[in-house]
Amino acid sequence: MTDLSIQEASDIARSYRIIRDKRKRRATITKHLFLAICSLVMVYPLIWMIVSSVKPDNEIFGNISLWPSEFIWQNYPDGWEGLFLSFTVFYKNSIIVTVLAVIGNTLSCSFAAYAFARLEFKGKNIFFALMMMTLMIPYHVVLIPQYLLFLKIGWVNTFLPLIVPRFLAGDAFFIFLMVQFFRQLPRDLDEAAMIDGCSPFKIYWAVILPLSLPALATTAIFTFIWTWEDFLGPLIYLNDIRDYTVPLALRNFISQDSVSMFGQLFAMSILSIVPIFIFFIFFQKFIIRGIATSGLK
Amino acid sequence: MKKFFAKNGPGYFFLIPWFIGFFCLALGPILYSLYLSFTKYNIFKPPKWIGLENYEFMFLYDDRFWKSLEVTFSYVFMSVPGKLIFALAVAMLLNKGMRAIGFYRALFYLPSILGGSIAVAILWKQLFEYNGVINTLLAKIGIEGPYWLNDPNYSLYTLVMLGMWQFGSPMLIFIAGLRAIPRELYEAAEIDAASKWKQFYAITLPLLAPVIFFNLVLQMIDAFKTFSSAFIISGGAGAPLDSLNFITVYLYNEAFAFYRMGYASSLAWILMLIIAIFTGVAFFSSRYWVHYENERD
Amino acid sequence: MSGVNLNKVVKSYGDLEIIHGIDLEVHDGEFLVLVGPSGCGKSTLLRMIAGLEEITDGTISIGDRIVNDVPAAQRNLSMVFQSYALYPHMTVRKNLAFGLGNLKMPKAEIAKRVAEAAKILQIEELLERKPRQLSGGQKQRVAIGRSIVREPELFLFDEPLSNLDAELRVQMRVELAGLYQRLGTTMIYVTHDQIEAMTLATRIVVLQAGRVEQVGTPFNLYNYPQNKFVATFIGSPKMNMIEGKVNNKGLDLPDFGQISLPATAPKSGAIHFGIRPEQFTIVKSGSAEGDATSTGEITLIEYLGSELFLYITLPSGHIVLVQASSQTQYKTGEQLTLSLTAKNAHYFGEDDLRIPLYDEKK
Repeated sequence: MTDLSIQEASDIARSYRIIRDKRKRRATITKHLFLAICSLVMVYPLIWMIVSSVKPDNEIFGNISLWPSEFIWQNYPDGWEGLFLSFTVFYKNSIIVTVLAVIGNTLSCSFAAYAFARLEFKGKNIFFALMMMTLMIPYHVVLIPQYLLFLKIGWVNTFLPLIVPRFLAGDAFFIFLMVQFFRQLPRDLDEAAMIDGCSPFKIYWAVILPLSLPALATTAIFTFIWTWEDFLGPLIYLNDIRDYTVPLALRNFISQDSVSMFGQLFAMSILSIVPIFIFFIFFQKFIIRGIATSGLK
Repeated sequence: MKKFFAKNGPGYFFLIPWFIGFFCLALGPILYSLYLSFTKYNIFKPPKWIGLENYEFMFLYDDRFWKSLEVTFSYVFMSVPGKLIFALAVAMLLNKGMRAIGFYRALFYLPSILGGSIAVAILWKQLFEYNGVINTLLAKIGIEGPYWLNDPNYSLYTLVMLGMWQFGSPMLIFIAGLRAIPRELYEAAEIDAASKWKQFYAITLPLLAPVIFFNLVLQMIDAFKTFSSAFIISGGAGAPLDSLNFITVYLYNEAFAFYRMGYASSLAWILMLIIAIFTGVAFFSSRYWVHYENERD
Repeated sequence: MSGVNLNKVVKSYGDLEIIHGIDLEVHDGEFLVLVGPSGCGKSTLLRMIAGLEEITDGTISIGDRIVNDVPAAQRNLSMVFQSYALYPHMTVRKNLAFGLGNLKMPKAEIAKRVAEAAKILQIEELLERKPRQLSGGQKQRVAIGRSIVREPELFLFDEPLSNLDAELRVQMRVELAGLYQRLGTTMIYVTHDQIEAMTLATRIVVLQAGRVEQVGTPFNLYNYPQNKFVATFIGSPKMNMIEGKVNNKGLDLPDFGQISLPATAPKSGAIHFGIRPEQFTIVKSGSAEGDATSTGEITLIEYLGSELFLYITLPSGHIVLVQASSQTQYKTGEQLTLSLTAKNAHYFGEDDLRIPLYDEKK
């Protein structure tokens, strides 16, 4: 055992190192290969949809290739006008609903969160517990009574049922998210502001909100995405095609059963997710952090 | 009295929107929904009290209800574990300071953020048509694909796959959880000559238990509430042969296609109870398998 | 006038009373320091004066006005926080101007006051920076600046120096003293650091467990502590306490033996005999001075440069702390004889209160 010369020992060590490095490199390559295949599987459907949107209709089905024989760009303008009304109308409706919902949700949830995180009042703990309990309630349980309520006050077939609830802090998840965020801001700031002559509202507006932009952004982004994608709400409340939002209009596209329009259907489907995609690209940081820290969907 | 308002006023002021929302859109509707579930109500005539008849019919005679439970549960028990296992596997691959992690993370998350949209549901439907892309691919490797959408034995799998495709958000939460595990633990295990597999179930799994639990609860609640994709892929009616008649789809049609608001309300309550029971069981059982780092002994 | 008057002030959280009826008169233009161990209620008391905590019972008045129900903003005071509490999203200039803006003060006046304060505190070049770009000392200056632009009747400081490193703390202490001389406004200052208290205060209030133990000038507190707590709390290092028994000849101390007491002393019971480290005399080669002596062993030497402290274990096992000149050489294990003079010591009865045996008329 002790007969190994220094030369021999270092040779053995080197060969071990080479083997180990080789193994490590192989593991890395395998990993990347695996991830690359995964990515391909993940994005293939989306790319297929994009390509199909410019394929001739007879090339869509059963054709797995990602290169059309000719590019039918016409699918886009045709699809845009493909329904009884132009998609301009549906986009306008979607934008109105989404923008107002985002404003409403961000404001009202931050209002409630400020009260829960920073102000003292009787019954605070009970209200907070009730708020957290609403997290558990599936939308479907309140769906029918809410529908009946809005029917009674004549709001069905308007955007109001999709917008007004957003101004009433109905999304406990975002309230909770912001409560957590507000709580970690130093309380000394509120007190300094109090001595500087701020009312509770001014503290909320001039101190808390400017310091909570990440939480507000997360709320706004997710509200945007969810409202834009929302299908059930518009499905129930909007019956007149002039009020349709983009998802409802898309659904109309498929229920028309005209098999020959698939290119156009895909073209409009893609356009419908373009805003979400843009948001995703630009606000990835907030979205990923929002999920990682709070478990948002 | 004046003093009471000086002290509590600001808190109540900031909660006004939430109060209105809570009473008019959450608490009120829940109670009303409970009441409706004991009535026969078709909107046009006032609700008629029928006691437990809805529930009696549901449990004793309504085969569609039992079928919808079967469908919903099958979906939850197939898609959630699959999704979580996949999410964890990918998260572990992406964990250790790897190049291009941001790219993969974004790519794998993309389906989740688009997944709720009608566009993706439409895409999915086309992919699984008999002469669609999936079957064409299968044919390439010599498998004759089934009628995915029309064969009740297969239709649910299309949705399960759609669910699993959206493993992005549990993946992000897992990545955050894995980051929080101290490196030294693995280094210590390495020195103790623990194999990679042993490291996984002796260190990763127990330390990740709270995160797994969190993901499980979140994903389960979410899966029980699946609606839009099932609605679109099943053509709005839960077809074929009710094999996609999720309890949410059944509920929607009872309420808004047949105006059986009373019966639909009792379905909604069953859904809520199921979610409550599962969340409760998860929380209760978590005491036995989830150990929190800062727990007191 | 802008003195502050506390009348039987009580603070409780639910059933837990943490301030037990404090009476305190803060004179106009004085620098009053509230000092005490952590948890003694000093910060709570300050925050009650500021209007950040509700007053459970009693009254607080600033000037002639009872302010119990006056909101913080209208008490015409300003406060410097331990964490500085600078608004992170505003520049230094905005931080200084924020409170003035809330008072609807004209823009020109605000600009003038900000410029003045910046000049006094030498932070003129920092005005456009955000707080996160400042060092600890600079933040501290801005925080002080924010309180002086208001030109309040009363300044409150809540442990303002405790986040600074030792060197900066000394420097800021000097600057604060200078600021006080310049402004002459009433200041109330909370600290747990008795050196800060001694150097800054015109008067010190020693608090413990929600009660005032003693109020007085630094000189008074050091030389005439009214009870055992104040005696050991004020002064660093601590006063030595030796428990002795009264007998018909005076006081019998362990190790040191018998000393005689004046006729005014109690005739029986125990007395806590307090003596500061610098009040011992080290006896060289038999020439005994003082009233009593004892010989012990040096167990530890703390060398501080200008002086040194010796931990001396006496025959009874009792350890006393003795200040000595750093110019003399000592070794651990060396035997040393100490002597003390009864007139220089402090006497506390069994109720821990001071027995004024040798006090001159103040």
